[in-house]
Amino acid sequence: MRRRRVPDRAEPGAVVVEGRGLRLALGGRELLAGVDLTVRAGELLALLGPNGAGKSTLLGVVAGDLAPTAGELLLAGRPAAELKVAELALHRALLPQAAELSFPFTVGEVVRMGRAPWAGTPAAAQDEEVVTEALALTGTAAFAERPFTALSGGERARVALARVLAQRAGLLLLDEPTAALDLRHQELVLRLARQRAAAGDAVVVVLHDLSLAAAYADRVVLLAAGRAVADGPVREVLTGPLLSEVYGHPVEVLDHPRTGAPLVLPDRATAGEPLPAQPSSSSRKPTFSPT
Amino acid sequence: MTAVAATAARRPARTTLLTAGLAVAVPAAALLAAGVGAYGIPLGDILASLAHRIGVGGHALDRVPESVLWNVRLPRVVLALLVGGSLGCAGALMQGVFGNPLAEPGVIGVSSGGAVGAVACIVLGLDALGSWTVTVCAFAAGLVTVFAVYALARSGGRTEVVTLVLTGVAVNAFCGALIGIFLFTADSAAINQVTFWQLGSLAQATWGKVLGILPFALVGLVVAPLYARKLDLLALGERPARHLGVDVERMRLTLITVVALLTAAAVSVSGVIGFVGLIVPHLLRMAAGPGHRFLLPAGMLGGALVLVTGDLAARTVAQPAELPLGVLTALIGSPFFFWLLRRTRSRQGGWA
Amino acid sequence: MIGTTRLRARIAAAALLLAAVSCTTAGGAGHPGAAPATTATADRVEPIATTPAPALPATTASADGRQVTVVSADRIIPLSGSLSEIVFSLGLGSRVVARDVSTTFEQAAALPVITQAHDVSAEGVLSLHPTVVLADRSTGPAEAVDQIRAAGVPLIVLDDAKQLADVDGRIAKVAAALGVPAAGQELTARTDARTKEVQASIAPTSSRPKVAFLYLRGSASVYLIGGAQSGAGSLLEAVGAVDAGTAAGLTRDFTPLTSEALVKAAPDAILVMSKGLESVGGVDGLLKLPGVAQTPAGLDRRIVSVEDGMLLSYGPRTPQVLRSIADQLARGAAG
Repeated sequence: MRRRRVPDRAEPGAVVVEGRGLRLALGGRELLAGVDLTVRAGELLALLGPNGAGKSTLLGVVAGDLAPTAGELLLAGRPAAELKVAELALHRALLPQAAELSFPFTVGEVVRMGRAPWAGTPAAAQDEEVVTEALALTGTAAFAERPFTALSGGERARVALARVLAQRAGLLLLDEPTAALDLRHQELVLRLARQRAAAGDAVVVVLHDLSLAAAYADRVVLLAAGRAVADGPVREVLTGPLLSEVYGHPVEVLDHPRTGAPLVLPDRATAGEPLPAQPSSSSRKPTFSPT
Repeated sequence: MTAVAATAARRPARTTLLTAGLAVAVPAAALLAAGVGAYGIPLGDILASLAHRIGVGGHALDRVPESVLWNVRLPRVVLALLVGGSLGCAGALMQGVFGNPLAEPGVIGVSSGGAVGAVACIVLGLDALGSWTVTVCAFAAGLVTVFAVYALARSGGRTEVVTLVLTGVAVNAFCGALIGIFLFTADSAAINQVTFWQLGSLAQATWGKVLGILPFALVGLVVAPLYARKLDLLALGERPARHLGVDVERMRLTLITVVALLTAAAVSVSGVIGFVGLIVPHLLRMAAGPGHRFLLPAGMLGGALVLVTGDLAARTVAQPAELPLGVLTALIGSPFFFWLLRRTRSRQGGWA
Repeated sequence: MIGTTRLRARIAAAALLLAAVSCTTAGGAGHPGAAPATTATADRVEPIATTPAPALPATTASADGRQVTVVSADRIIPLSGSLSEIVFSLGLGSRVVARDVSTTFEQAAALPVITQAHDVSAEGVLSLHPTVVLADRSTGPAEAVDQIRAAGVPLIVLDDAKQLADVDGRIAKVAAALGVPAAGQELTARTDARTKEVQASIAPTSSRPKVAFLYLRGSASVYLIGGAQSGAGSLLEAVGAVDAGTAAGLTRDFTPLTSEALVKAAPDAILVMSKGLESVGGVDGLLKLPGVAQTPAGLDRRIVSVEDGMLLSYGPRTPQVLRSIADQLARGAAG
């Protein structure tokens, strides 16, 4: 086994991801048009924005899947491009949008795959313990013996999350982790994300549900057309006018009558009326200046 | 904890049992195959002759049975073991590398490329290397074809599986056309030889061919298990595998090279023997799960067992005539495959 | 090297193909001893009058360069139809224990076959415990020949029979190897005499007919025309004919031919193997093949057919082959 440097746990508040001027063009189309992004240990950052804004692309760049065409990306203070695949696996885990499996491994085996990067390191001693914990946290221990391929979409999503949690990387990237889940499990996933942040990990979550983001995120980055148009605490970014502008639909932000948490609601007063002509999302130019 | 422990315990028990069973069945089948044939040799005589040659007692047989055993039967049995093991292992590797249970080495052009090499050699009457010419041509052409497919499918340092498979389809068609052209210009004798070669057979086994394929089979035996754990991860998909530290592109290049070496070597000494590489890993997966730490060694053993038994059947079922081995494996393999397909569909709603 | 391999395989290929096409007993309808006045020549061999007793051991030079000593001729396996024919004609047929697929004459029909497709099976040969094995240089696969030799069985290789002039030498070689040189001389003398007799009886003609040797494969209307290496050239020459393929400059054994090229070659007669002819539906079927009816041969229905196993065997029965070809040519010309 090749020697890898096992990364130390980052101090709370330490910068884990530092991206400056990240650009990415694929097939002549600019998906990221110069994004700055900082993620710190111990915080839960929500990446928000309309379809095609570049959220998943940005996550892919941070994960090291896509090499930015311009800009600089540092992971734990080192240029991301310098990190080998095996080393990257100790730094970050990514939960993909869709969980697939070519062969009928059991749920237990799938979750144990999350421990693969640690093979040959001292951390491998905790494999069993970590896997058991991940199964328990995601409520998947009950079907640990069943083949993954026999599970429902929601069950698969939770098993995939368990695998990513078992990887125990300091940077946790979740791409729409709630998409396949019912209400209870959506809350479960974000509570788990919160818990990881509280334990000192840096967590980045791509979300479509703005209220969910408002309830759990420490900080929000709002993307539109490949640019970060807002970056800051939930209260500052999630405002009616800005969201209405970015999503091209009237949005209201209310306070929850009991908890005071912000609730983001689309204006549905015109729900019964015929659709106005829609400008296509690619031709829509952002009219605001980045904060 | 208990659930995980149970899973962890049950599968290894079954895989260990199955691997051990295969490890016993392979030598047993090999001994049986060494004794049965047009010239019958009793088991006691085989063991005595083997012991004699190793130098641990026993005694040599009369000249003719000794010669039949050592110059005719044993090279054939050993070649069946090596070819079968190579095909079984290559099949398991292919399915793992492509994350697709339908993949077999033929998909990336090894077999058809090898066929072009052999056919060209036969039809053009090349004999620069004596009786090795066809073998060497088949091996070289098989390798060249695989790397051509790989190079054509590669773009920007990445290889999409679908592109790779489609490129393979196109290259296979091209090879088919080349074989057609050669056959068209061939005389009747060459056509006969080509047909016989394409049907697959171990009838022309010699120790020379055994030694020829041995290094490649050994490479497979040694290299393939090193990648078992990473192949498991690849089942998650390319991106997740990379996130877990697997250099997918490099692993794929390495393993396709291994597959090409194993298959090209097998094809070059035995002709095209279909379905072993496809069916054997399937059966094993159904019996004891998809983990490659089990599947790769068991695939070698299973392939060896199937081919030794198949070759025994090929030369004894229709005595004194001999069925072409490739025909026999495809004849039994295809209906079995259909059955497997339907069974899987009714149980799990599709391949899994 | 290539040529001889092809020749061997071609004969086997033809036999294999034709065996698959037709199940008719080889020459079963023939009358032994009857003069070959009809095209149906009996597919039998005629042993010499006295059955010889082999004087062994005998050492002979094999064509592979080895000196081979035969100590017993009790169990003989000839690996080609041509060699079987010689062994049976020498009167040693009762000692033959196996045959190859191209040995089609009646006396050998009951023997086990030790070839698979057209390849010799070493195991099949050895399982019959031969005391001597005869092979042609083109007998293959080489692996099987090596394996038989490695088992310690005396194996004598002969140069392939390619022309009329090879007949005597082959008979003498086989007779010497099996310890019956006197029988060899007797058979050689008989064969020579018969050949001369046939040639003497051929009426001298002003023009030599041009004969195309066609290899037919079923009704696929693909035919191959024999060239310089086909092996039929010296037969045609001996009966005063010219090989159309060789005349057209074809140097290979067989060449695929288009209908138009056949018409252009304009053969006066067409030579085929009898089962090949059957496979296309006889003379009428042959004439329906594109191009054939338009040749002088087709217009005159001048089709010469000879038993597959006999035509190219170049052995004791070759005089019969010559007689048959000459008669059929003469009759076609007259009719």
